Amino acid sequence: MTPLTDIGQLAEHYDLVVVGAGPAGLSAAARAAELGLIVLLVDENPTPGGQIYRAITTTPVKDRAVLGEDYWRGSSIVGRFERAKAAYAPGCTVWSLGPDEGEPGTFEIGLSLGGKARMIAASQAILTTGAQERPFPIPGWTLPGVMTAGAAQIALKGAGIVPVGRTVIAGCGPLLYLLASQLAAAGAEIVAVLDTTPKRNWTKALAAFPDFLRSPYLAKGLQLMAQTRRRLHFVSNVTGLAAAGEGRLASVTVERKGAAETIVCDTLLLHQGVIPGVNLTNAAGCEHFFDNEQHCWVPKLDRWFASSVPGIAIAGDGAGIGGAESAALRGEIAAFDAARRLGRLTKPERDRKAAPVRAELERRLRGRRFLDLLYKPAPQFLAPKDETIVCRCEEVTAGQIRDAARRLGVTGPNQMKAFLRCGMGPCQGRLCGPTVVELIAEVRGRTPAEIGYYRLRPPVKPVTLAELAALPQTEASVEAVVR
Amino acid sequence: MTTRGNRSEGDVVVIGGGVVGGAIALGLARSGARIIILDEGDVAFRASRGNFALVWVQSKGFGMPEYALWSRRSADDWHGLAAILREEGGIDVAHSQPGGFMLCLSEAELDKRVEMMRRLHNSQPLTDFPYEVLDHAETKQRLPAIGKDVVGALYSPLDGHVNSLKLFRALRETCQRRGVDYRPESPVESIVPRDGEFSISGSWGEVRAGKVVLCAGLGNSRLAPMVGLDAPVKPSKGQIIVTEKTEPFLHNPMVTLRQTDEGGVMIGDSHEDRGFDTVVGRPIISTMADRAIRMFPRLAGLNVVRTWSALRVMSPDGFPIYGQSESHPGAFLVTCHSGVTLAASHALTLAPAILAGELPAAVARFTARRFHVPAHA
Repeated sequence: MTPLTDIGQLAEHYDLVVVGAGPAGLSAAARAAELGLIVLLVDENPTPGGQIYRAITTTPVKDRAVLGEDYWRGSSIVGRFERAKAAYAPGCTVWSLGPDEGEPGTFEIGLSLGGKARMIAASQAILTTGAQERPFPIPGWTLPGVMTAGAAQIALKGAGIVPVGRTVIAGCGPLLYLLASQLAAAGAEIVAVLDTTPKRNWTKALAAFPDFLRSPYLAKGLQLMAQTRRRLHFVSNVTGLAAAGEGRLASVTVERKGAAETIVCDTLLLHQGVIPGVNLTNAAGCEHFFDNEQHCWVPKLDRWFASSVPGIAIAGDGAGIGGAESAALRGEIAAFDAARRLGRLTKPERDRKAAPVRAELERRLRGRRFLDLLYKPAPQFLAPKDETIVCRCEEVTAGQIRDAARRLGVTGPNQMKAFLRCGMGPCQGRLCGPTVVELIAEVRGRTPAEIGYYRLRPPVKPVTLAELAALPQTEASVEAVVR
Repeated sequence: MTTRGNRSEGDVVVIGGGVVGGAIALGLARSGARIIILDEGDVAFRASRGNFALVWVQSKGFGMPEYALWSRRSADDWHGLAAILREEGGIDVAHSQPGGFMLCLSEAELDKRVEMMRRLHNSQPLTDFPYEVLDHAETKQRLPAIGKDVVGALYSPLDGHVNSLKLFRALRETCQRRGVDYRPESPVESIVPRDGEFSISGSWGEVRAGKVVLCAGLGNSRLAPMVGLDAPVKPSKGQIIVTEKTEPFLHNPMVTLRQTDEGGVMIGDSHEDRGFDTVVGRPIISTMADRAIRMFPRLAGLNVVRTWSALRVMSPDGFPIYGQSESHPGAFLVTCHSGVTLAASHALTLAPAILAGELPAAVARFTARRFHVPAHA
């Protein structure tokens, strides 16, 4: 692996550009390099690992028990990439990805590193930009002191810091238990774990239980769950949450079995599962569909994780939530296909090499459906009450969105964006998109799939006007602008 | 929802729910008519979501002085429209008319502009259109934030701007309060003149009305022939950059750059003939960004939040097309690429005339007949 620290060191063209250095990206880049492709791995973080193995090469958390063995398993994935013959640009963002107009069949990728932008070309792209936490809009979620559980995990892995004072963790999903146990092990004072998993989800999930019994996660998951329930103050069947405080968080009110209870706290960590981060894949023009079981937008992909745009594959949790181990396997499979597209592998070679990886992936994904059904968030946490802020950037409430959908005939998120500015702020819809769609669907009596999603536009990551201005212009571009 | 038979549900059906259709519908509803708007859904070619939000007069009308007069009339009437939207719709659309600048980054650009303006305003009836030619120092006096590359500017006190997304919503809101029946996801497939009425239908059903107004933007080229009209409009792609919000520093609009009331800076506006392609082209974005920074160096460090492209609705000569069908009176065409500038004229002048059944003399030159002048030997 050759680290590149200055944007000028990048080549003009790569066979393959991989975006994101989590397990999927690291594995895709390593495998492709092993197959002889000229590869660049671009990642916005300073060190490899993505979210799951964040800061694995640098974390100050040295007690291996705190982050757990699953975290440290990332070392071998990073190690393999470090031995591979690939270029690696850390601290580098991808802000655009589109067809290269001058060179049909290749992509033009907009990068920014160290305050300088640059366009490079790639024959193939594998996007492994991963997942984001599902927005969890409750009253008061914009107060200082309220953050996502994932954000607390970033602070723990990256800097070895834990929230100070009385900490409450609320929400649902398999990661909730992991986060709670990691933070507790690191010394956080967790006064309550509030579980919002709807009771009736158990009935729906039961049908998928036999499959879950064969899941490699089963034993681990049950152990983690039991541990959390035993060691921490665990409150289940929570049906309502509201954060309150003057200028910062002071308490959280919990509704349960028709009664309300207030817990005084300094930090509230929210989490209701993860969903694919679609900003880059959407802006690149890849088609998406609404996955009803995972209840989120997912790119349309074939068996090789190839998207609807020829030459762009999407692997890892960005291809649909599957977890860290399946992410790495998906990355491998996408790399085999990239090599095939570039003529380095024949189809039979690709199929033969990928077969064992595919078998392992199948095993790893076993039981996923059970988790998806069990941890599907309750409707009141997907489409919150009117007074709740939904778009944090532009401070748009659920009530305003419902009103526009009901009274002004707004049928989709793009028109909503034009009318109320939701999704126009610096987060570019990441924190409001799913909720806006949910609210419109609710008012209009439709499914999120029928409502659609934002049409996203570059830049998908911040880039300054000066960076854009310094990029090459063409005769045609000057002619189109100067009159 | 669907009515069959002879009964009409509305007096007028407006096809198209953008800024043009919204302004016409509002004007019609204010004149007392029952209105149905038929619109497309969430994803459509909507210039109303992608435009640059100028209420612009300067340099318009070269080749057709009536267009300059019509634009100026709308700019004058815009104060009244803004008041209506505020009072009836409860929305302040941030309209102002502080005067606009055309900044030039070379002597050649400035000379070309000055010459154009001189020719435009040399002849009647456009002699009393106020404008000034400013050198660098004079421009700097009025716009202290300009960079050294600005060699000069043209300024006209007639120009202004508005928050066009607030305008878009305010038109909908005001129409809604006036009882306009807005029907989204109702794309029109056919219009059939029948028994002195128009039967308008699509997969959603059918409505009938005595009058129909085509405000469907690029869709007008397909619809107009159904009622004996002609709308030879084509897309012209324009790209826009918007930055993160920053402290207010620019009160006046430039023809290619303006700060919105919310604080973001919009940078436009390219022109390309690329059919219905709306992919954002990177080199053009760079040219726009480069020129914007040369105009206002303080913009250099701002983050770009979004870029987008939208399609202008362009007629062969760039001017609006207004007309009533001769073969099927009661069918009207309203199409232009300056729906924001002309919103006031559309709501306050054109709509009442449509209801009365005859277009005003001020727009007589704007019929599509001008494209069918036989070539002389």
